Amino acid sequence: MDDLANAVWSEVRKATRSRVPLLTLLGFLMLPLACALFMFIYKDPDFARSLGLISAKASLAGGSADWPFYLSMFAQGISIGGVLLFSLIGSWVFGREFADGTLTNLLAVPVPRTTIVLAKFVVVCLWSITLTAIVYATGLVLGALIGLSEGSAGIVMQGSVVLAVTSGLVILDVFPVAFLASVGRGYLLPLGVMLLVLALANVIGVLGWGNYFPWSVPGLYAGLSGEGASLGPTSYWIVLLAGLAGVVGTCLWWTHADQH
Amino acid sequence: MSVAIETHDLGKRYREVTAVEHLSLRVTEGEIYAFLGLNGAGKTTTIRMLLGMIKPTAGTATVLRTRVQLGSVEPWAAVGYLVETPHAYPELTVYENLEVARRLHPGIRRQAIDRTIERLGLGAYADRRAGTLSHGNAQRLGLARALLHDPRLLILDEPANGLDPAGIVEIRELLLELTRQRGVTVFMSSHILAEVSRVAQRIGIIHEGRLLQELEAEELEQNRRCRLLVRTRDAGAALHALAAAGYAAGPVRPASPSLAPEEPLALVDARSVQHPDDVARMLVQAGTPPTELVVEEEELEHYFLRLVGVNGGQDG
Repeated sequence: MDDLANAVWSEVRKATRSRVPLLTLLGFLMLPLACALFMFIYKDPDFARSLGLISAKASLAGGSADWPFYLSMFAQGISIGGVLLFSLIGSWVFGREFADGTLTNLLAVPVPRTTIVLAKFVVVCLWSITLTAIVYATGLVLGALIGLSEGSAGIVMQGSVVLAVTSGLVILDVFPVAFLASVGRGYLLPLGVMLLVLALANVIGVLGWGNYFPWSVPGLYAGLSGEGASLGPTSYWIVLLAGLAGVVGTCLWWTHADQH
Repeated sequence: MSVAIETHDLGKRYREVTAVEHLSLRVTEGEIYAFLGLNGAGKTTTIRMLLGMIKPTAGTATVLRTRVQLGSVEPWAAVGYLVETPHAYPELTVYENLEVARRLHPGIRRQAIDRTIERLGLGAYADRRAGTLSHGNAQRLGLARALLHDPRLLILDEPANGLDPAGIVEIRELLLELTRQRGVTVFMSSHILAEVSRVAQRIGIIHEGRLLQELEAEELEQNRRCRLLVRTRDAGAALHALAAAGYAAGPVRPASPSLAPEEPLALVDARSVQHPDDVARMLVQAGTPPTELVVEEEELEHYFLRLVGVNGGQDG
């Protein structure tokens, strides 16, 4: 346990000393800003038009400036943006050891390699959760400032739960990134594959098989395909298995593959 | 004396390419063993196999009585290492890099960091980000990481890489001090024989993945070729006189088309090397007295290249 705590300390130190957390935060802040902008427009489309925010032809059907819609939009944003951003985090945490040539320092040490790998996963989770919390808090403040309707503690609580579950599913979904970063010895393979996976998730979702594709599940859960999309336990198990496969695959790669 | 490193028929193949084969060597505790070879000879591959970073395709490696296995935690608490160019986390300071390394060695106190920084002369750079260090100081940081936990065995890949002459001397003295005062075993690779001949007790020469020769440092002197160089004012007459007296003499540059009058001649037989005075006397009597008479020992690098059969070592 001490080994894991020490390894987590090291990983946190490596992360906080780099610029990557700030860059990911700035990138992720686009989400509440974009959601808030939409709410601002929905609230008073004519005023938005007069400000030049939208063109006269803009179609605004299907949206409303209220808390339930805002929170749902937020969760959907995380189901897509989160995959990209958390993948970036996972790719950096694992891939940087290969890209910077520092992996060698972690290999012939009296701490098991699996402990180091698990510490990295812990940091990916902590980092993703912290980002989500900051971004969500920003979103709540912006929502309050805009003065969205139908706000109640119950609605915000329910929206928060959906958002937390969506984030959890997305975090599990990006665990395989660690394996790809290790096999590809850097950032390119994981990021390339995850972009492809995101495109695939969209196509598979449209075809109606999204329930069985782990990277479509968070979006479906968050309501991307509209109301009524129901997910059975199988979908959650599939996401959990994808995450587990990422962890186990990475551990096996670090302990059994040649490391040059 | 117990054995610190032992390999038996160690080999590594990558499809058609053989990086190392049939490598059997033994490093005794407390000695400095130099592992010498040209670039691409298989030194780093061997070191990675010794450190359990790559899996051998043949044979076994034992380090500090532990059979090396990929991903194992033994025996690394007692081993310090440096593989190829040392890389540090560029955004962390020198101190923080060592703190991260310390946390990978349970039980090592924080004071060890200060002590190591001082030992490697990194005091002025302790708070500098590693990314801004010069190549030489980055190498020192790599060595500091290797020494941080007071290991019994050091496995160092080209430890003098990137160091200036003063740094090379300093590291050499540090390694000697570690072996003499603390009984540390050092296994170091290098491609410069002259550099390792000053510290190593034993030298293993690897070429194209095979161990060509293992020799004691003293044997180096015996194995190097010696020759007597003679210069006179009439090289042709001197050559004639030497041949008549039974000496195996020839021009230093046998390939040159004509023999210049003051061209030096080389005598390679043991008799002339051991008794240059006899040669001088004979030349005086033959009317071509020497203007220069030197017993020359083959340069270490020349010897090394001759041993591995690379051009530049052929004509010695």
